[in-house]
Amino acid sequence: MKLKTHLWDGLILFIIAAFLIVPLALTFLYSVFTAWMDILPTGFTLQFYTQIFTDGAFINSLLRSLVISFVPVCICSFAILLVLYVMTLYMPKLEKYVEILCNIPYAIQGVILAVGIISLYSGKPGFLSNRLFLLVGAYCIIILPYTFRGLKNTIGALNVKCVIEAAQVLGCSQLHAFFTIIIPQMKNGIISTMMLAFTMLFADFVVVNMIAGSAFRTAGIYLYQTMSKSGQLSSAIIVILFITTFIISTLTLMIQNKAVVKRGKN
Amino acid sequence: MNTKKNYKFYVLALIPFFIIVLLFEILPLINIVIESFSKRGGGFTIEHFVKIFSTRLYQQSIFNSLWISLFSAIVGIVIAFIAAKAMSNATPKIRSAFTSVLNITSNFAGVPLAFAFMILLGNVGILTLIGKNYGIDFLANFDLYTINGLLLTYIYFQIPLGTLLMLPIFAGLKKEWREAVGLLGGNSFHYWFKVAIPSLLPSILGTFSVLFANALAAYGTAYALLSNNISILPIRISQQFVGEVVQNQEFGCALSLVMMALMVISILITNKLQKKSGGVR
Repeated sequence: MKLKTHLWDGLILFIIAAFLIVPLALTFLYSVFTAWMDILPTGFTLQFYTQIFTDGAFINSLLRSLVISFVPVCICSFAILLVLYVMTLYMPKLEKYVEILCNIPYAIQGVILAVGIISLYSGKPGFLSNRLFLLVGAYCIIILPYTFRGLKNTIGALNVKCVIEAAQVLGCSQLHAFFTIIIPQMKNGIISTMMLAFTMLFADFVVVNMIAGSAFRTAGIYLYQTMSKSGQLSSAIIVILFITTFIISTLTLMIQNKAVVKRGKN
Repeated sequence: MNTKKNYKFYVLALIPFFIIVLLFEILPLINIVIESFSKRGGGFTIEHFVKIFSTRLYQQSIFNSLWISLFSAIVGIVIAFIAAKAMSNATPKIRSAFTSVLNITSNFAGVPLAFAFMILLGNVGILTLIGKNYGIDFLANFDLYTINGLLLTYIYFQIPLGTLLMLPIFAGLKKEWREAVGLLGGNSFHYWFKVAIPSLLPSILGTFSVLFANALAAYGTAYALLSNNISILPIRISQQFVGEVVQNQEFGCALSLVMMALMVISILITNKLQKKSGGVR
């Protein structure tokens, strides 16, 4: 009886895993073969990868994606850390309002946020209608809920007030103590939160497509434009994008696990 | 003196956050509401909403969006439940292997996902060709470029997300409950439907609401797969701003407001049901 249920569970997991893995694996196989007309593909080749990496346009779009995902993550994390500093030390009442502001993005996901920003700023004079500026702003809002929750949980696990008071007794200023004692202790939490936010932005298509479009070709836009031209090239791009995300999220998981182990040991 | 300096500093420290939130969250949100009720050129009107709810094209897009989101969230949650249940019984080795699969595939969505399904089941997709060559009608005749094809891709991205969210809640089920049900003469049907599922219900509903919102807002997959040939809200909204159709900003804002209302309603319903069903904490 016991063995039977195990087999059954194993079978279920196997089927679901297969359904999830097959599209991904086929995309990879598709990118390294020239033709696929029957069950097995024919003509192994890496030409599509060399083609992509010798094409400056793709490299540029990939770099654009990395930069445009990284900058908002830094801005947003910095702004939230400052708020958390004030909130934990001086104004605990603030939390309620900040929490509401940080949850609104759940209701204005994707297309709605882009619509709000374009309809407000497009055609306005000066830097406000600068598409890159708008994109960075929109990205800050997309990651706001996740960054806030991640950083708040990290800071919540520390005894900030006690540490700061101890530092003050020893003659250190509050701000100095916050940046030299609290932030270094939060390092793992900050890094993993930032990486999670980064992978979200790196995968974005809707907001960049609506706000910047072909004016700022990120890897996602580049992929969309390649799709109608060459299947194999597109799948090679997908594989590269996927590996990039995979490396980042694996590192994030590793950092998170390390943090848990460390906390457990203490 | 010192407190005054501190006061100055923490007002200063709050500025970046509030500037970002004001410029890119609050003002755009207010602007959507104002423009939804504005005529081209100025003046108050509700004509956009009359148009949305009386034109077949837009009624269809609301209906399709709701249907796709509901259906993919329900199928997603059932599969996620089964997977999480199987995982909670599995050996640690299998569990960690399956968790890796979930983590890997949860990053696979949007345009890349649409493309993978085109390779698989598109007009010259691998499975489609195999279906044609070997007379498997189901595969040969599957049309990816329809609402059914779209549903399949949506269900795909719901499964990893749903399972990852459901997994922790299964840890809340206590072994003693199962034994208690056994002692009282119940079987596993009683256990699952009278004890386990009711106690997990709040978490299940929470996961459901995340999946629903996730599908409602999804855009990349649908856009890559069907371009503008499918009537769902995100596509109809983006059309008002980019692309070949005549651009109509106010109308786009009104459509966005409708979509936002659907999001908020789904969140409120879930909250209410969660409170009602109580469950274990």
